Amino acid sequence: MKKSMRFGAAIALAATASLTLASCGFGGGSSDGGDADGKTTLDLLVPSYSDNTQALWEDVISGFEEANPDVDVKLQVESWDNLETVIATQIQGGEAPDIYNGGPFAGFVADDLLYPAEEVVSADVYSDFQESFLANAEVDGTAYALPLIASARALFVNNTLLQQAGVTAPPTTWDELLDAATKVSALGGGVAGYGMPLGSEEAQAEAAVWLWGGGGTFGDAEAITIDDPSNLPGAEQIKKMIDAGATQADPGSTDRSPLMDIFVQGKIGMQVGLPPTVGQIEENNPELDYSIVPIPTQDGSAFTLGVMDQLMAFKNDDDKKEAITAFLDYYYSADVYVPWVQAEGFLPVTKSGAEQLSGEEALKPFLDVLPDAQFYPSTNPQWSAADSAFKALFGQLQTKPAQDVLTEIQAQVDAG
Amino acid sequence: MSTTTDTAAAVAQPGRTRAGRGTPPGTAGRRPGPRDLVRALPWIGPAILLIVGVVFFPAGVMFFNSTRDISISGLDQGGVGIDNYVEVFTFPYFWPILLRTIVWVVVVVGVTVVLSLVLAQILDKAFPGRRIVRLAVIIPWAASVVMTTMVVYYGLEPYFGIINTFLVDVGLIATPEGYGWTRNPATAFAWSIVVAVFVSLPFTTYTILAGLATVPGEVLEAAKMDGAGPARTYFSVVLPQLRGALSVAVLINIINVFNSLPILKVMTGSIPGYDADTIMTMIFKYIQNQHKVDVASALSVVAFLIVIVIVAVYVKVVKPMQEV
Repeated sequence: MKKSMRFGAAIALAATASLTLASCGFGGGSSDGGDADGKTTLDLLVPSYSDNTQALWEDVISGFEEANPDVDVKLQVESWDNLETVIATQIQGGEAPDIYNGGPFAGFVADDLLYPAEEVVSADVYSDFQESFLANAEVDGTAYALPLIASARALFVNNTLLQQAGVTAPPTTWDELLDAATKVSALGGGVAGYGMPLGSEEAQAEAAVWLWGGGGTFGDAEAITIDDPSNLPGAEQIKKMIDAGATQADPGSTDRSPLMDIFVQGKIGMQVGLPPTVGQIEENNPELDYSIVPIPTQDGSAFTLGVMDQLMAFKNDDDKKEAITAFLDYYYSADVYVPWVQAEGFLPVTKSGAEQLSGEEALKPFLDVLPDAQFYPSTNPQWSAADSAFKALFGQLQTKPAQDVLTEIQAQVDAG
Repeated sequence: MSTTTDTAAAVAQPGRTRAGRGTPPGTAGRRPGPRDLVRALPWIGPAILLIVGVVFFPAGVMFFNSTRDISISGLDQGGVGIDNYVEVFTFPYFWPILLRTIVWVVVVVGVTVVLSLVLAQILDKAFPGRRIVRLAVIIPWAASVVMTTMVVYYGLEPYFGIINTFLVDVGLIATPEGYGWTRNPATAFAWSIVVAVFVSLPFTTYTILAGLATVPGEVLEAAKMDGAGPARTYFSVVLPQLRGALSVAVLINIINVFNSLPILKVMTGSIPGYDADTIMTMIFKYIQNQHKVDVASALSVVAFLIVIVIVAVYVKVVKPMQEV
């Protein structure tokens, strides 16, 4: 008896210890809209784009609450790392936010959780979005998410290093890129020709840059096609770059943000960057002599990877719909929206916004390539599985044959 | 048993007499009956509620989730029986991951215990500044594990990591930007073991140190009189006396190390593929990357059962709870 009780105690101890991890997926929620004083409460869940994000949203909210005293907006800011876990936990607990700023949304549409975009903004605001962005938010012909910001990629080139290596013009094709990067790498002293981040942080972006640049595709709203012959040239080219020593060491497990820091320090010849990279260089190493050029492709044709983040409204409670519409209309008005996008360093998705910012010098190279932008097939509910498969597996290109890696990614996507 | 509680109570409340306490004299040997249980309920009730709330309820939810189909956005789409378990066991990397988990636990706990035995022996001797050294040993325990791991992780970064730079400066690494320790599965895993041992040392050392304090001086003196050398004294006299402390330290460490996520998550997080994962990081990957809460729950149940089996075998073989 006594012995078995002690045995039981040991088991209980083991149970407690092992459950601390297992149970952390089970989340508590916040209390629902406090209607005690007749106010409507809107929960707003957003990711943090920069150190400014929280303050920027707080400004928007205080301006909105002043104009609409009967609505309370509760802001929750999460890091990108946690965002998708937080939203999944909240939905599971029946505590979905009213407005959510995120990437993949097709899964929510499949579960019938979102309002169609047209129902939560006024007609004026809806018609102000650029059509291509709105089209990218459609599932079966209905847009379920409101474009929020856009970004396009371009190649950042360290002019000093290229000059030292004897490269006269920035590369436009893969062959020129390989040649230029190999020469820069040969400078030695820890300098790398091309910064290639295939680590888990954003492997899908670097994959898109190469695979699509060789004429490949990730598929469309109907099917995800990673294991496709058209994707092979890009993957093979990545291996060629690595084998030639044209990249930094261990590209397979290098994350993008720390690698960008090294570019900013001036130790990488070329790397694909985003509009906010401009601000990052200005802040940390303004002396850096660099230029921004279009991304080199297999045959030199113009192409860029466009990424769009969205706002979406969850169907929680029909009483809140009016307040949601009021908030979104306020947010997208040019006086509020344009300074917000500008402060975050991204590109606007509204026609009025693009007009206002067309004179911005730093954004010009990106606005120029935007017409050639291709987007992830994010309206396919399977895209988020593909996204995580890329993050988990694509870096294996460094050691495994290209075909095997593509097959493995496709298998994980198909498994759901 | 009742004597110890009474002594403790008597120390805590010096004014009270023994007769005033709940346990009447002479009941020590009697087996507790249902009436005792009812009488004890007001005192143990909150604890039972707490155990149900924080142990059994989450465990129940975990078991339940492992048999459901949960969508990417987290909605329950109905029961699927054992499909999630089938997915866990048919995952081609499952067995390597299980093997790696075992290596992880055995190496970390083994090295920790051996180092702790040495450390405790040193700290048990009187020397000037002992108090400071003892304090220094606790520091890894006082810092958060993620913090400690981050320091090592950034130290190992190529280009700007201080450990990497040091190794380059002393000429052990030929490339000027350093070596990608955390970029390759084998080296990242090895460094994770180093960090895990480092953060496990304080607890283990102090447990053993407490055990050393209970070794009676007369026994050591007697061994000396009988002509036993230091090694003989240690292995035949001191070590057997440490059995209680050691078995507690090992048991807690096994559970703790098996369930350790943050170290491996930080050190091997950006490595593609599954060549540096243990069961815990795999659970994390199922939740965070693939959003498969259902499969993650199934793997958690498997992990839970493994821990129970390990502990059961350990308790049966080593009998740590038995009096020496």
